[in-house]
Amino acid sequence: MAVATPLALLALWEVAARLALLSPQYFPPPTAIAAGLAESLVAGDLGEHLAITVARLAMAFVVAAVPGVPLGLVMGLARPVRQAVDPYIAFLFPVPKIAMLPFLLILLGVGEPAFVLTGALSAFFQIVISTLAGVQTMDPRLLEVGENYGARGARLFRAIILPAALPAIFTGLRLGLGLALVAVVAVEFIAAKSGLGHLVYRHWQMLGTVDMYGAFALVGALGLALTRGLRALQSRMLTWQEDPGRL
Amino acid sequence: MPRWLTDHGIAVVSPVLLVAGWEWASATGVLREALFPRPTTVARHLGQLVTDGTLERHTATTLVRIAWAFAVSAVLGVATGLAMGSWRRLREALDPVFAVVYPIPSVLFLPLVSFLVPAGEVAVVITTAVTSFFLVALTTMHGVRQIDPLVVEAATHYGARGWRLFTAVLLPGALPSVFTGLRLGLGYALIVVIAVEIVAAGRGLGAFLWLSWQVLKVEDMYAAFLVVAVLGAALSYGLAALRARLLPWVQDVAER
Repeated sequence: MAVATPLALLALWEVAARLALLSPQYFPPPTAIAAGLAESLVAGDLGEHLAITVARLAMAFVVAAVPGVPLGLVMGLARPVRQAVDPYIAFLFPVPKIAMLPFLLILLGVGEPAFVLTGALSAFFQIVISTLAGVQTMDPRLLEVGENYGARGARLFRAIILPAALPAIFTGLRLGLGLALVAVVAVEFIAAKSGLGHLVYRHWQMLGTVDMYGAFALVGALGLALTRGLRALQSRMLTWQEDPGRL
Repeated sequence: MPRWLTDHGIAVVSPVLLVAGWEWASATGVLREALFPRPTTVARHLGQLVTDGTLERHTATTLVRIAWAFAVSAVLGVATGLAMGSWRRLREALDPVFAVVYPIPSVLFLPLVSFLVPAGEVAVVITTAVTSFFLVALTTMHGVRQIDPLVVEAATHYGARGWRLFTAVLLPGALPSVFTGLRLGLGYALIVVIAVEIVAAGRGLGAFLWLSWQVLKVEDMYAAFLVVAVLGAALSYGLAALRARLLPWVQDVAER
């Protein structure tokens, strides 16, 4: 059942394209797309572009997570920090980070740092907010129990606060990675000269639709692998608590 | 000092300090004024763009696109989500399709959409609506599915079925999730519309922002960014406030 509908849709598309009910120029049959995809993965530069996109995404994720998680934790634990930083986070979180790209481009020049940073910013705010929420919504009784057993300072943090916040942190990382993928691909589509997003754009402009759909499908596979993989990892690692945000 | 100020002192003081520091730094040349114009300069320029109507025109274009995309994705998304939540067969049939298509960033749909409809407003609106539609549909479906089965059972025992069951039990039960989906969907619509305007439109805030970068009119860039930021904040918090006001008993399942 899980593959029946997608297969049926693809078969329908195949037949429509073969019978020229769909313009084969714009909608080449899926088998042709698959063949083109396999060919450019083996012989062409598709693998290279995939690697570039994955590398940008990984960099963006690290650049966002390394300061994001600690900042969220500190904001949750220290009221003055939260009050000082929250206005910026609250103001910038709903802003499309792609709108920051021009500023990064004039600051850093057209190149990798600007592309990666746009992706990182997309993930960063989500990670901070989820981490903060994880600390703030923890059951106060847990803290009390910890304190009554004599845990304070670093001990309290390691034994009580961090494990309690971990599911929310993980959710923040997962959502952040998804947002970073959106941003990285959009930046590639708009400004970069490499990566899967750029491939879709380039083949669209040159009407190389077979290659365009191939790159498109690869982005879909990447997104699916990331969302499914991380969710599986989350339920495996954090068996003691349910995912607070399913989407 | 009023109590409000002692409670939120830092929250007010820290942005004010930042702007003042920026003003000082670019006035004295610590920051390059060509790239970091003074906040007062940006404010004056913003005023100019407002009076000559430039900003209003672009903002109106973007807002209309968002409104259409949001309306389309809300109506279709809620309907699809409710249907998927209520009928297992439909859910099982569509789930795999959604799982594959949903994580694809919306901008990439622009080429596809441009093959289907003539380039222009319709293409921009459809592209903007894609991801929002999936978000709204998926959250609505989860909303229906997390309704306590006991409640549904009780309702059917009391004779509610079909339309009655739908309006009295399923829809109200799913409402918190529907709202979350709508809020997230609106946020996504803004992200995508800006990206699409950068690539493929001559008007709208995204196009204005991108064009001012290309000709390096830095003040225009800041002004456009400021409007986009305020728009983002207003849409996100405005919808939350609207929910709190209209449906105070409905809780957003993931506030913020």
